[in-house]
Amino acid sequence: MDLDAMLEISNQCIHSEPPVCVASCPVHMDILGLVSAIEQKDFAKAYKVMESKVPFARLVGKICDHPCEKSCVRQSIGGSIRINELEKLVVALGYVPPKKAFPLPKNKGKVAIIGGGLSGCVAALELDKKGYAVTIFEKSTRLGGSLWGYEGKGLEKEILEEELSIILQKGIKVQYQTEVLSTDLEEYFKTYDAIYLGSAKWNQELNVDSQTFQVEKSPLFVGGKLQVKNSSIIHSLSSGKRAAVSIDRFISKTSMLASREREGVFQTKLDFKIDKVATLQSVEKSATVYSEDEACLEASRCLKCQCNECFNACVHMQRFNVTPDSYIRSINHNERIILGTHHANKMINACTQCGLCKEVCPVDIGMKEIIHATRESMVLKGKMPPSAHDFALKDMQFSHSDYFSLVRKQPSKEASKELFYYPVIAFSAYARGLYKGSGKTGYLFYPGCQLSATHTDYIGEIYKHLVGVIKNKDADNDVGLYLGCCGAPADWAGRLDLMPQSVAKIQQTWQEMGEPTFILACSSCTATFEKYLPMIKTISLWEVFDTYGLPEVDIKKGKRELCIHDACATRHNEKLHENIRSIAKTLGYTIQELEFSKEKAKCCGYGGLVAYANPEQACDFVKDRRQESENDVLVYCAMCKDMLVKGEKRAYHILDLIYGNEQNPNTLQKMPTLSERQNNRKRLKQTLLKEIWKEEETMDTDTQYDFTLHLPEQIVALMEKRFILASDVQKVIDNALKTKERFYNPKTSDYLARLRIQNVTYWVKYEEEGLNITVKDVYSHRMEVVEN
Amino acid sequence: MENQTKEVKWLCDKCQEALVLEKVKVRYLEGNFEVELLKCPTCKMVFISDDLAMGKMLEVEKGLEDK
Ligand code: SF4
Ligand code: SF4
Ligand code: SF4
Ligand SMILES: [Zn+2]
Repeated sequence: MDLDAMLEISNQCIHSEPPVCVASCPVHMDILGLVSAIEQKDFAKAYKVMESKVPFARLVGKICDHPCEKSCVRQSIGGSIRINELEKLVVALGYVPPKKAFPLPKNKGKVAIIGGGLSGCVAALELDKKGYAVTIFEKSTRLGGSLWGYEGKGLEKEILEEELSIILQKGIKVQYQTEVLSTDLEEYFKTYDAIYLGSAKWNQELNVDSQTFQVEKSPLFVGGKLQVKNSSIIHSLSSGKRAAVSIDRFISKTSMLASREREGVFQTKLDFKIDKVATLQSVEKSATVYSEDEACLEASRCLKCQCNECFNACVHMQRFNVTPDSYIRSINHNERIILGTHHANKMINACTQCGLCKEVCPVDIGMKEIIHATRESMVLKGKMPPSAHDFALKDMQFSHSDYFSLVRKQPSKEASKELFYYPVIAFSAYARGLYKGSGKTGYLFYPGCQLSATHTDYIGEIYKHLVGVIKNKDADNDVGLYLGCCGAPADWAGRLDLMPQSVAKIQQTWQEMGEPTFILACSSCTATFEKYLPMIKTISLWEVFDTYGLPEVDIKKGKRELCIHDACATRHNEKLHENIRSIAKTLGYTIQELEFSKEKAKCCGYGGLVAYANPEQACDFVKDRRQESENDVLVYCAMCKDMLVKGEKRAYHILDLIYGNEQNPNTLQKMPTLSERQNNRKRLKQTLLKEIWKEEETMDTDTQYDFTLHLPEQIVALMEKRFILASDVQKVIDNALKTKERFYNPKTSDYLARLRIQNVTYWVKYEEEGLNITVKDVYSHRMEVVEN
Repeated sequence: MENQTKEVKWLCDKCQEALVLEKVKVRYLEGNFEVELLKCPTCKMVFISDDLAMGKMLEVEKGLEDK
């Protein structure tokens, strides 16, 4: 993976872009930090926030002309946050006298400051801090300049004097009653490395650079009123700070311009959306300043403007407390380290690759592709934790195997002869469809592995219905059947090596069958076909139902309302969304649209194999969905239903509605276990072969054991949680019975046996009563124990 | 790995022997360790409890997987 290109994407993320209030504050006061401290009623902390950007914060906090408020996004919805009023209270409650600092050597150079007003004093303080020997030349007898205009109008004399005395405390020299004129400059240049001009008036036109405040490459720098050309306190203060930066760079001969684009007021890239924000009026103060409670309330009106669109929509980012900027940086680190722990592995395997983040991001950043590429890279480097996807991949191999895989053309006319008699032919569209058999497979019904595993009994019915309705309208094209797995698990797991195996097999079958259109019923299959098999024409089963007609079922109007959970894999498939809604309406249901639907569909937690790699994370996804509506959920992906039902949310597959199997709301919904799902696939293949193609399966699919296995309910639950199949438990017990390799507990009469199957050792504790085996515990480990 | 002496009640069923604590080699991915585990002194079959497998062992496995 191109890590640099990936980092470039992280730089595009505007999560850390400041809110407009901060961008329009000339010194970029951390207003978010300020309001959160106020909300916590930690005024000392709030004062620290002010102080870190604003010299003389104790004065400026009371008289700042607050340009931040003019741009606040709250303006039109209840009024701008009263930042200035908040600051006043912070100064009153949070001011702490500065600690006496040990003076540093002033050996970096000498600077003269002309004019001891606010900007001059600020420049002096900043340069002093940087290690310059500073002298202020002030024509009057006191420092502060126009600040004295606020005496009694917001500032008290004592406080003004106390604050300005900091200059002297720092050891900055001040020469009072010294007026410097333009004609004197030459003389000053001889003694000083640079001069800051902060006087309000000057007897000479100066050509000042708007970014560096430097006068034509000379050692003269200008700030204050002369430079900002208005009477704004905060702009003046900012100019003193910025000129100090320039002077430092000038004297230390570093770049005058590098990384200063965002000094002063700038345009933030953040465009905070307020369409969903309710109006809330500003808090009025009941006295001359806010009370603590009033301030707290006002601070809480602040929207803390920040781009968190993806974070708010994604429980994965929430669980790991990341946004794509930091997420990508962690991936980058994870990918580059050679020795040491790959701390981001867990996070990378907990993204469902659902693609929602990209849908909500104002700058189009999506984690799906990045996560996919990262997983591929981890696999290639041998750094993918084997346990993460092992079970899912083994299950996929099962689906690829002869236990499930099956390709059949529509039963031939010849083979179906016995159906072509009255009354069968009259009442069965299926029989009529077979009668029209052309021998040319125009369609191939591909239900996919998960639907077949969990909604097994519908598959044969659907197949017959398809033959009936399709042949009725399109006599040329027969409908075949193809059971298999599209390979989505390999794609999610980043297993590029396994992908061709699935894809090539499907493509070959497609060619052998004369390039039929695939009828797909699973959202993940749809996505996989789009990505890896673009040459194959596909149509969704729901579109076939919607256009060719539904199976004959009881259609009543006025059924209840269901909310739709769209499948994230098909978020861009508008036609599909419409088909599903149209089918539900035809069947008499009312649809509730969720906020996150269609292209903004939220994942059920199964995507990206998160249900295997990080079940807790998968659970967050279900919970998130569950709380969106009181209504029961309508889904059209077998795994969505599985996840929701397991998360105790009543969910119906669209097939449940079509075939009239929407259960009584009081009965418990249950999904097949992992073992049952494999058995269901086996059973499906056998049943279809027998019932539709009249073939008896010759292959010995079920190993017969002479013992009977009893799995108590809590053991079944444990097996699900630990991804252990009944077939593995059987193998362990079979081995134990045959070899006597097992432990025995004389006290409880329990046996404990182990068997390594491929890369996992399974342990089973059981009780034996004749041929009846009752399991009492199951567990496994991947670590290999050397027994010798 | 924790010592499993509280599990001594188990016997090797094949050899009818009480288990003894002994150094056993375990390995996973790039990791090779020697740990004291209970095993049958005769046939060397090693005993691993649920707590050990799903606790410390799982933790070590995860740690090695992230190396
Ligand atoms: S709502 Fe808060 S963060 Fe947003 S612009 Fe206003 S003060 Fe700044
Ligand atoms: S889970 Fe979905 S929304 Fe969250 S980061 Fe992954 S792809 Fe984006
Ligand atoms: S939506 Fe997410 S990725 Fe996009 S800019 Fe905002 S924080 Fe960054
Ligand atoms: Zn033994």
